[in-house]
Amino acid sequence: MQHKTNPIILFIKESWLLLVSAFIFGLLLAGINAAWSPKVAINKENKIQDAIVALIPATANSQVAIDNQPIQLGDKDTAKISIYKALDKNNKLVGFAFTASGAGYADKIDLMIAVDPSFKKFLGYKVIFSNETAGFGSKIKEPFYRDQYIGAPAKKLTLKKVGNAKKIDDEIIAISGATISSTAVIDIFNKYVDKVKDLMTQKGLLK
Amino acid sequence: MANSNSPKALQTLLAGLWKENPVLALLLGMCPTLAVTADVKSALTMGLSTSFVLLCSNIVVSLMRNLLKPHLRILMFTLTIATFVTIADLYLKAFLPAMSDKLGPYIPLIIVNCIIICRAEACASKNGLFISIIDAIGMGLGFTVTLCMLGAIREILATGAVFGKQVLPVISENWYLTGGMPNGFIPMFAFALPVGAFVTLGLILGLVNMINKKTA
Repeated sequence: MQHKTNPIILFIKESWLLLVSAFIFGLLLAGINAAWSPKVAINKENKIQDAIVALIPATANSQVAIDNQPIQLGDKDTAKISIYKALDKNNKLVGFAFTASGAGYADKIDLMIAVDPSFKKFLGYKVIFSNETAGFGSKIKEPFYRDQYIGAPAKKLTLKKVGNAKKIDDEIIAISGATISSTAVIDIFNKYVDKVKDLMTQKGLLK
Repeated sequence: MANSNSPKALQTLLAGLWKENPVLALLLGMCPTLAVTADVKSALTMGLSTSFVLLCSNIVVSLMRNLLKPHLRILMFTLTIATFVTIADLYLKAFLPAMSDKLGPYIPLIIVNCIIICRAEACASKNGLFISIIDAIGMGLGFTVTLCMLGAIREILATGAVFGKQVLPVISENWYLTGGMPNGFIPMFAFALPVGAFVTLGLILGLVNMINKKTA
């Protein structure tokens, strides 16, 4: 009669290499993560700081006013939002910037949108992440399109296919050949503007 | 020991570059080949990241080849590859954040790149450390060079630049209003799109097959 092996011993015999390797690789990854994660966090902070300075050049210092707050954007659409206060060298408020994202043509689009201290005008936007088609949708990062938002009223905007792109108002002229990406940016603005204003009023950030 | 391995080592190294080039001969790793070769910088980063993972996984698999149980070997390969891909991903996030953002999910997706698991199975699990390292270097170089070649062709045709530096003067926007001949290179944006990747790769594969037939 054949001797029956204890299942626990069989399990260890068969899988010891896998268990030991998983343990060693786990330790290796934990060590590397501990060493490099502060650098990753600094990179993220720098990216946000650079975006705020690019949008509000008078910024000497930025502070997190609202961090990762969930907001309801639509019936089934929720998002987490961070709002930053931009202060000049005399600690005077020069504007606010908030993170916003939505679907683009190829991938999601993450924006940093800036508004003036009274939330009356947009001060522009910076693309934090996008994967739009090079030469077409990627033009959302270029001055022709971006500059139309600088000074535009902080309310719902409309997209036009033709018109005067130099005129700053609530009408934004689309990028030719990249209507989907142009629409995506304007949709992000329109989706967030009222909700963010309400949230900021609620939190006492706006008078 | 090294002397007896030398001819085989050289053969292994050269095989990765041409005869068994992962992209041009084995048609492996097509996803990153098509997805991240719109410019040379991205192609080079992807090539070097894959080479790093390939080298590390070949070393580990070769060292543990005598301990591998047949039914657990794929699991072991995946665990090893996933570890080194995570290290490569963290490195890019920490030291090359802009490139990490640009490559997005394609770096974590190296885990499922069949070049790496193929070399672990076909070479590292059957050969000693020296040959496994040479194989990884050859295959990694072959993959990186091919990706960079594709990236260079596509970047030049799409934008007239290589490595982000303009090498061909691009035609001025309203050149046709002057009534003369085009005054520069006309960028073909299609080469920055997936269609450009398929066309370029197809033409290169055709050329490689033609050369192989002529030299056979």
